[in-house]
Amino acid sequence: MHALIQAIILGILTGGVYALMASGQTLIFGIMKVVNLAQGALVVLGAYLTYTLFTTLGIDPFVSILITTPLLFLVGIGLQWALLRPLHGEDVAQLSLLVTFAIALAIEGALSFAYGATLTNVQPTYANYSWTVFGYQISLVRFVAFLLSIVMLGVLYFILQRTKFGRSVRATVQNPMSAQLLGVNANRVSALGFGLGAATAAAAGSVFGMLNSFNPGSHYDLISRLLTIVVLGGLGSIGGSVVAALIMGVASSLVSALASPIWSDFTFFIVLLLVLLLRPRGLFGAKTRGAL
Amino acid sequence: MKRAISRFGLLRVVIFFGLLILVPILGGPVWLLNMLIFTVMYAALSSSWNLLGGLAGYPSLGHVAFFGIGAYAFAIMFQGSVGDGFSPFLALPVVGVAVALLSVPIGWVSMRTRADVFAIVTITFLFITQTLAFNLNSLTGGAQGKSVAPPPFDVSTYDWPFYYAMLALLAVAMGISFYFSRSKIGLSLATVRADEDKAHGVGVRVTAVKLIAFAVSSGMVAMVGCVWAYYVGFIYPQFAVDPLITIGMVLMAFLGGRGTLWGPVLGSFILVPAQEFFAQTFGASELYLLAYAAVFLVIMLFLPRGILPSISDRLRRRRLAAEGDARDAAQLSEVQDASKSPVTSEVAR
Amino acid sequence: MQLRIHTPEVRRSRRLLTVVGAVLATSLALAGCTATTTSKSATKAPLTIGVSLSLTGDFSDSGKAAQRGYALWVSETNKAGGVLGRKVELKVVDDASSPDQVVTNYTNLITQSKVNIVMGPFSSLLTVPASRVASRYHYSFIEPAGGGPAVFAQKLTNLFFVQPAPTTSGGDVFADYILSLPKSKRPKTAAYAKLDDPFAAPIAANIQKRFEAAGIKTVYDQTYPAETADMTPIVAGIAAANPDVVVGGTQEGDAFAQMKAMIQQKFNPKWLFEANGANSPGDFPAAVGTSNTNGVFSSADWYADSQVAGSKAFIAAYLAKYGGTVQQIDPTSAEAYSAGMLLQEVAKKTGKVDNATIIKTLHSGTWPTLVGNLSWDQYGAPKGAYLLIQWIDNTLTTVYPASKAQAKPIAPKPNWAG
Repeated sequence: MHALIQAIILGILTGGVYALMASGQTLIFGIMKVVNLAQGALVVLGAYLTYTLFTTLGIDPFVSILITTPLLFLVGIGLQWALLRPLHGEDVAQLSLLVTFAIALAIEGALSFAYGATLTNVQPTYANYSWTVFGYQISLVRFVAFLLSIVMLGVLYFILQRTKFGRSVRATVQNPMSAQLLGVNANRVSALGFGLGAATAAAAGSVFGMLNSFNPGSHYDLISRLLTIVVLGGLGSIGGSVVAALIMGVASSLVSALASPIWSDFTFFIVLLLVLLLRPRGLFGAKTRGAL
Repeated sequence: MKRAISRFGLLRVVIFFGLLILVPILGGPVWLLNMLIFTVMYAALSSSWNLLGGLAGYPSLGHVAFFGIGAYAFAIMFQGSVGDGFSPFLALPVVGVAVALLSVPIGWVSMRTRADVFAIVTITFLFITQTLAFNLNSLTGGAQGKSVAPPPFDVSTYDWPFYYAMLALLAVAMGISFYFSRSKIGLSLATVRADEDKAHGVGVRVTAVKLIAFAVSSGMVAMVGCVWAYYVGFIYPQFAVDPLITIGMVLMAFLGGRGTLWGPVLGSFILVPAQEFFAQTFGASELYLLAYAAVFLVIMLFLPRGILPSISDRLRRRRLAAEGDARDAAQLSEVQDASKSPVTSEVAR
Repeated sequence: MQLRIHTPEVRRSRRLLTVVGAVLATSLALAGCTATTTSKSATKAPLTIGVSLSLTGDFSDSGKAAQRGYALWVSETNKAGGVLGRKVELKVVDDASSPDQVVTNYTNLITQSKVNIVMGPFSSLLTVPASRVASRYHYSFIEPAGGGPAVFAQKLTNLFFVQPAPTTSGGDVFADYILSLPKSKRPKTAAYAKLDDPFAAPIAANIQKRFEAAGIKTVYDQTYPAETADMTPIVAGIAAANPDVVVGGTQEGDAFAQMKAMIQQKFNPKWLFEANGANSPGDFPAAVGTSNTNGVFSSADWYADSQVAGSKAFIAAYLAKYGGTVQQIDPTSAEAYSAGMLLQEVAKKTGKVDNATIIKTLHSGTWPTLVGNLSWDQYGAPKGAYLLIQWIDNTLTTVYPASKAQAKPIAPKPNWAG
């Protein structure tokens, strides 16, 4: 029982961070109908930026989010402007998918060039600190990371609900055609949306770098997890991806604690296939899309 | 549209395969043969992927799973002994058919979704396969890998059987592609690709043709996986089920021209040697990945339809300009129709 | 030291790029090279040695370390007059960590460049296909980095693994030490956390076999996939079982993650053995914090404070050629250097350096190298043992076997500093 509850606690804390990464990805899909295969690479890029800021300037990883997030926001806008916007023709969806994969490769290549293939991680002094609450271990970094993810998700929610940009986004997500007719600038919304997605990756990346050892190739694992989360949650649904991230976090944590870690990811893929079989839109695909 | 194969087309096939068949016989050096084995392998993979991704418009990103399944099936069958070395090749059709059958339920599940989600589901399938290859220790050797027994071929002609096997698979893949383009299946796939709902509406048996394309494509890829496993001699989950092999198939088809007969072949014969060049030129500095991504992006941004369709478009436009204006209107509409489904137009020419 | 393959987070490689033989460009390079081998002058022709190494891709860090080792041996040997008076020329080609490429490279080295000798690439996964090519052409295959079971299962008689024991026996020395303790002082319970990797899990499994036979109860046993970045659930499970000894069948990244999770959860086993990672003098303290290293066990063949004859000279030459600090020298460099030493010793003993002589000669006798005195069984598996090393006062120290120990092992392990 103790192990069970410990696994659930861990799963929720980890799921929170995945929720942040996935929310950016699903937002990009909602706006542009592009599955962003570079989201994992952007997270790793964020982690490396944090690593460099920490090791060279001594900036605390949590504080560095204030630098990396705006930086990757701009990078995201640049990528959308330079590489995704020019795509046209009947196969835009396919082309965009592959272009984002090329972006991922490029980021991986640049990071390999700059940092090599060795695993690394961000080690602030408090990295290994943990509390014991009623006999359960709660790591400081994990807990703060979870809170931070909640805050970032809150900010994202605020932007989408309360700003003019947010209204344009929601209109675009619901119906791109009529949004455009109503004067929403689709290109601008797409660029800002891609930027926002990249920004969430940056924030999550700073935390990811403290929780895990990583190298430029880490994005393959990340993206396979993120894809399952966003499909499970329903592509385009931020609420859905948050719920799916928590489900995934808890499920994989439970399976590894109770059965074997070997099968934890596998169980999750199976769940995903079942969902697609029974409900191809994902858990919340149709319902929550309007309520984004 | 359904013209018989033109004399030009036939000539092209004869020259292409004739030259390739002659390379070892005329004493092509081992290094050349070795490169051609991998080039032809990618041409065969890409042509097989094209049956589904190009003709039907379902961009599978998980096809390497079938490549890996084929490789493992072969390695498991021939881990102990390969006899005279030639008999294992007889197992290829068996593996091909078995994997094609196995792929039917997978195709059925995954093709309930459309392009984007389909891509994701196939990626997921790729990771499932890789996980199984790791976890089913007793069968696959798990992380220890699995060896195929070495064949007793003579050193001087060691590469020949593998080379000709790959070449035969490429010929089969291109043959199927050609057959599809001239048959009702190809037409049905083209309508599915253009607008699946409409295809359904006009009475195309959508599910059936999609599944046929999926199964044939998967079976072909599996057979290529067999030969690869035999040639390399040692397989390991990450080597046999490597996402980048999938990306290779996709990219080569995109470069040469999706949905065309020669596009994937052209793409492979450009990209595989080019990769070599990048790896050797930029290799030690890790810049090769960047160079590769750059090529990738250039293709997507500037040649989104691939080399062959772009060229044939241009040629056709020139021919039209040269012709009289009387029949222009009629021909123009025909050409536009054709360019919407480059599959049929290009292949049948 | 065992192969550090860096599998955990590096799994998906980028092989595609290079998938097909380095052929195009290699062949260009070869054009220049064949000229040197074919033009036999009046003076002795140089001895050409061909190696394919992972200079890019997943194994590139270790591949480059091996390259430094080979190159250092070549330059030191040439300074001292070469092998049998022949100048040594090293030809290194990149395989980008790809099995396809490694086949291509060795085929080309042997048939195109016509090198006199070939030596091994980095990692067992590449050594298996590579050694087959060498065997096909009756070349000897001295290899510093392919010690997995698949390598020896091929039953090739031309192969010699230049480490003290097969990689999967890396932890046997820890079992030797524990079982040498009087029964009352031995651990009663043990936990095993194994990375599903050809060079990690079997190390722990071999220890487990010996422990269970000796009555040490297994209270936790788990294998995790290579992608596992987060060890917290596993360590939570271990902590709940509260074993006396924890054995990690690890590579580097996951070993660090395991220990970080233990530190987080304030779980202190009396003995902690990590197959890899903890034997990395530079990375390990950086990853878990210097103050947390004390008392952790690992095993190694060569490390900075090695007392083996020739080690000091190797270190001096290495630092002179490449700079850096002694702690940054990767054992892979010493292993590759040792591969060269073997060649020189065969030449000195027999006066010949052809492949048949090398194969025949190495199959008998004991051969001193930086990684200890080596001897092999008929299929190239070394018959020695690794050294048990422990972190004592922030330094890697040999603690077992007693004949080679610099200090006595510390047990129980001091608590994590936090």
